[in-house]
Amino acid sequence: MIKVDRVCKRYKEDEYALIDCSLEIDRGEFVFVVGASGSGKSTLLRLLLREERPDSGQVWVAGKELASMPGWKVPFFRRNIGAIFQDFRLLPNKTVFDNVAFALEVIGKSKRHISTQVPQMLELVGLHDKQDRLPDELSGGEQQRVAIARAFINRPLILLADEPTGNLDPENSWSVMGLLERINRTGTTVLMATHDVGIVDSMRRRVIELDHGQIKRDQTRGVYGLGQQTS
Amino acid sequence: MAISLEYVVKETSGNLWRNRLMSLAAILTISVSLALAGASLLLKQGVSTATSQWKGGVQLLIFMQPNATSSQTKAVSNQLNSLPEIKSYFYMDQSRSYQEFKQLMANSPDLLKSVTESQIPPSFRVVLKNPNDAPSVGSLFQQQIGVKDVNFNRGAINTMLHVTSIVQFVIVALAAVLLVSASVLILNVIRVAIFSRRREVAVMKLVGATNWFIRIPFMLEGMVQGLVGAIVAAAAVIGIQSLFEYVVSHFQVTVLSNFLVSSHDVFMTELFVVFMGIIVGTAGSAFAVRRYLEV
Repeated sequence: MIKVDRVCKRYKEDEYALIDCSLEIDRGEFVFVVGASGSGKSTLLRLLLREERPDSGQVWVAGKELASMPGWKVPFFRRNIGAIFQDFRLLPNKTVFDNVAFALEVIGKSKRHISTQVPQMLELVGLHDKQDRLPDELSGGEQQRVAIARAFINRPLILLADEPTGNLDPENSWSVMGLLERINRTGTTVLMATHDVGIVDSMRRRVIELDHGQIKRDQTRGVYGLGQQTS
Repeated sequence: MAISLEYVVKETSGNLWRNRLMSLAAILTISVSLALAGASLLLKQGVSTATSQWKGGVQLLIFMQPNATSSQTKAVSNQLNSLPEIKSYFYMDQSRSYQEFKQLMANSPDLLKSVTESQIPPSFRVVLKNPNDAPSVGSLFQQQIGVKDVNFNRGAINTMLHVTSIVQFVIVALAAVLLVSASVLILNVIRVAIFSRRREVAVMKLVGATNWFIRIPFMLEGMVQGLVGAIVAAAAVIGIQSLFEYVVSHFQVTVLSNFLVSSHDVFMTELFVVFMGIIVGTAGSAFAVRRYLEV
């Protein structure tokens, strides 16, 4: 589902974000990417979303090679990928319903399609009774669930999560993780970059650790790190 | 994937309303510059109509009586042939003169109807070796049988052509500068619009909206500003034109009546103004979208 092959990426001369990274993730896996700030987690996710191109190497996502993909194909590729972020990236002047509907609207889906899909998805994330609220009337956990609803509304093959619990208290973090697990059980591959030791340690999923742009560890059923302190 | 009309209209009008003050500035600048450009085009048309008989360096007009006989005409042309001061001349016969008359008076259908071809004077159009000989050569023909009138206001015509070309140059230069600034204003309006919608744009990219889907509302916003400005300018040009016509007919300023332009000319000018407005608006927003909307 995801294959990163000998990828290098640097933003400045002699300042590598990723050095010769290779990894492979199968369909339906749930993978944590851990590592300190600046270790290359975000760069990896940006490469998988084709927000960046690698300087060398290949990136395969959902059967497509991204390094050589022409720009006009990128939007169509992204429709198969869901993404959520630490800062939720919801539109503050749109209601919960409209935020989720926006993702369908801008790829040209019909009104009818939208009016059946969105309530279903809000039901799934447990926010159907709050569909007319604005994002800042919701808790952080609820906002992230709206973002998940938006990311998952096209039933993507892959869900990328960049520190989705970074702004949440433990209780809300767990509700979001529960949701991601359910999405993973539908066969969606989930790749989650995180700092959250507690979550990684208790979920016991595959863990890829990045350190200064290199893969330091790749463990099935791993933990966050050995005696490592993170913020 | 089709872009729904409803979405585009909603986005574009929403953007315009959010930046209404800036949009207004851009629209007004376009209006003023295009009104100037349009008025200057009409002036050019007017001058060319008023001076059409004098094209090709003609300095002396000898009008024959409409009913002059062919021997009378022949006598005049013989005399022109014999005069050493004459460089060249040509004879405008009655039917060609009538064609010209119809062109000149295209705006006055009543006058056109009341005049028939047989009432039109044919004329000799004379180019002299030395323009200063016009009065002396002209006076030779003044009293000749069959000659209706002799006309040699070369100096006035030249001065007029000269002055109008200067005026026109200034107006066009001013209009060009204003058009550039209008374009830059629109660019800035669109840049602000893009900036104020950056969250939406980011989400659109994230969920896979195509580049054109993101761009079109912004492009259209600039185009609408250009179009609205052009429409205001077009109205202003018509206003100026009718004011001029009113002054000419109401105060009987016959000198100016030669400058009246045909409705066809006005229409073409309006077309040009609207076209330019759309071009300027679209160019400004296209540049902003290219520069500031990384899709």
